[in-house]
Amino acid sequence: MAASALRVAPQWSGLVLSIRRAVCRLPGLTQVRCVRYAPEFKDPLIDKNYYQKPVTELTEEEKYHQEVRTTQLIKAAPSTHTSSVFADPVISKFTNMMMKGGNKVLARSLMAQTLETLKRKQFEKYHAASVEEQANIERNPYKIFHQALKNCEPVIGLESILKGGHFYQVPVPLVDRRRRFLAMKWMITECRENKHRRTLMPEKLSHELLEAFHNRGPVIKRKHNMHKMAEANRALAHYRWW
Amino acid sequence: ASTGAMLKGIPRLFFRVHKLDPGCSFHVSSQASQSIVHLENQVPVEHPRAISRTSESDPAKHGEQHEGQHYSIPLQDLKMVFPHGLPPRFVMQVKTFGEACLMIRKPALELLHYLKNTNFAHPAVRYLLYGEKGTGKTLTLCHAIHFCAKHDWMILHIPDAHLWVKNCQELLPSTYNKQRFDQPLEASTWLKNFRTTNERFLSKIKVQEKYVWNKRESTEKGSPLGEVIEQGITRVRNATDAVGIVLKELKRQSSMGMFHLLVAVDGVNALWGRTTLKREDKSLIAPEELALVHNLRKMVKNDWEGFDDLDPFLPILISNYNPKEFESSFQYYLENSWLQHEKAPTEEGKKELLFLSNSNPGQLERLCACL
Repeated sequence: MAASALRVAPQWSGLVLSIRRAVCRLPGLTQVRCVRYAPEFKDPLIDKNYYQKPVTELTEEEKYHQEVRTTQLIKAAPSTHTSSVFADPVISKFTNMMMKGGNKVLARSLMAQTLETLKRKQFEKYHAASVEEQANIERNPYKIFHQALKNCEPVIGLESILKGGHFYQVPVPLVDRRRRFLAMKWMITECRENKHRRTLMPEKLSHELLEAFHNRGPVIKRKHNMHKMAEANRALAHYRWW
Repeated sequence: ASTGAMLKGIPRLFFRVHKLDPGCSFHVSSQASQSIVHLENQVPVEHPRAISRTSESDPAKHGEQHEGQHYSIPLQDLKMVFPHGLPPRFVMQVKTFGEACLMIRKPALELLHYLKNTNFAHPAVRYLLYGEKGTGKTLTLCHAIHFCAKHDWMILHIPDAHLWVKNCQELLPSTYNKQRFDQPLEASTWLKNFRTTNERFLSKIKVQEKYVWNKRESTEKGSPLGEVIEQGITRVRNATDAVGIVLKELKRQSSMGMFHLLVAVDGVNALWGRTTLKREDKSLIAPEELALVHNLRKMVKNDWEGFDDLDPFLPILISNYNPKEFESSFQYYLENSWLQHEKAPTEEGKKELLFLSNSNPGQLERLCACL
């Protein structure tokens, strides 16, 4: 029974196999579910159009590709992968960063409420504005969200480098993903900490996103502070060795 | 001249909205389906551009041809007829769009048909609107209330009976009966809203006995009902008793034929369920011991003048949207530019919304709010 469980579980190398076999003879230590897959496991493909194509329309290459996939081992698809048309990777990442204690349900509902609040605020402004101004008011909460985060991304970052027993803040170029991460992190920290005790997250978040969309507000200020510090410490730039 | 001079008997009808658990099963009573003789079964045709609005704003003229279409209620009327009673998300939608549009649906049309053909000589009929969560029971009730308001009926609308049996901040022992409890806050808010809806009737209806509030204040026999309501609002301690008096007087006088009365209770199963209120010694209070609930139960009970046997109620099932209604709702949101996501107006977006909401009106509204 332990042996069959081992055959099902992904295995690494011969050495590990024998160790695990020895360990798994003990009933309490049988471990079947691991997140670390072996190299032969392929990523799952989640695409409605790929699977819904009728067999007649496939080219030879695609038919071969599909047949090969039926024989391959494929990793389990995480539950956050959707084929939904409304799925947005940036929103998913932001929701995951807002999540506390694994409570994805709460984080997702907060995100939905934020988008709704954004929409309602913008609709109010739209109805109150004159015809010329109405063309300038953006009512799509997704566009506002993306633009706001783009506006919050810093161009250059600071890194703590140890030199001669002291840590120096050295200006350093940032990768795209680090920039997006910093923008989202600053936004969430700002909304969690600098607000009145009784304001709810969607209210505060929608307010901050709107401010960032118009290039004002505390998160943009923090980005500018980062840029100023980097400018002030330009002399230390040669401490960076990468 | 009295409005209903030709009509005698008990011109009063009930409504209740019953919130069912999704867990328990319910079946449509054959009575209700067979009585809809005049509504031919319209096969929902897939219009490429379905019309989602109609300009007919009088509920009396709504017929099967308007099924699935939205009609708008003028905002002034909304404030007069519905100071309370609309679902909170609908109120937000009205504020955002600047207009109040209700969809005309089959159960509402059925209900309006029954209302239009009520025989006021017969005892009052009770209708029970039931269905799963989010299917549109409260809005159907509001549709019927709008119809009655347009036709000058008197409306007794309790927006949510659940509010009277839980989360009560102040519970006073009743001045009238030592066994019962008073709820001054809920009673006074309800009286204020009742006054807003029924201003024009308050001076015409006269109280038929003398009520003594305390050593210094009393209402004489023959004074208008408006005075009782004023007393309830100004002296919050007596608000519950004022509510009880209003209910008693209306019950007695509606058989005289001066006015038509509509009693609409939303969440009526709260009157017979459990309360979450406790006495000082932490023992639970039963619903009968709340004066408001006690008076309301007497109102809803079938012991009015003029009939001897128990009338069972007429159940009306409210279900999820059918494809035509879903399409209409979708078009309505598109017209108001509520669906801002780029993929939302596409066919796949629509199919996905249909699947995610399962054509449930409440769920669809919540999904469209964040798209």
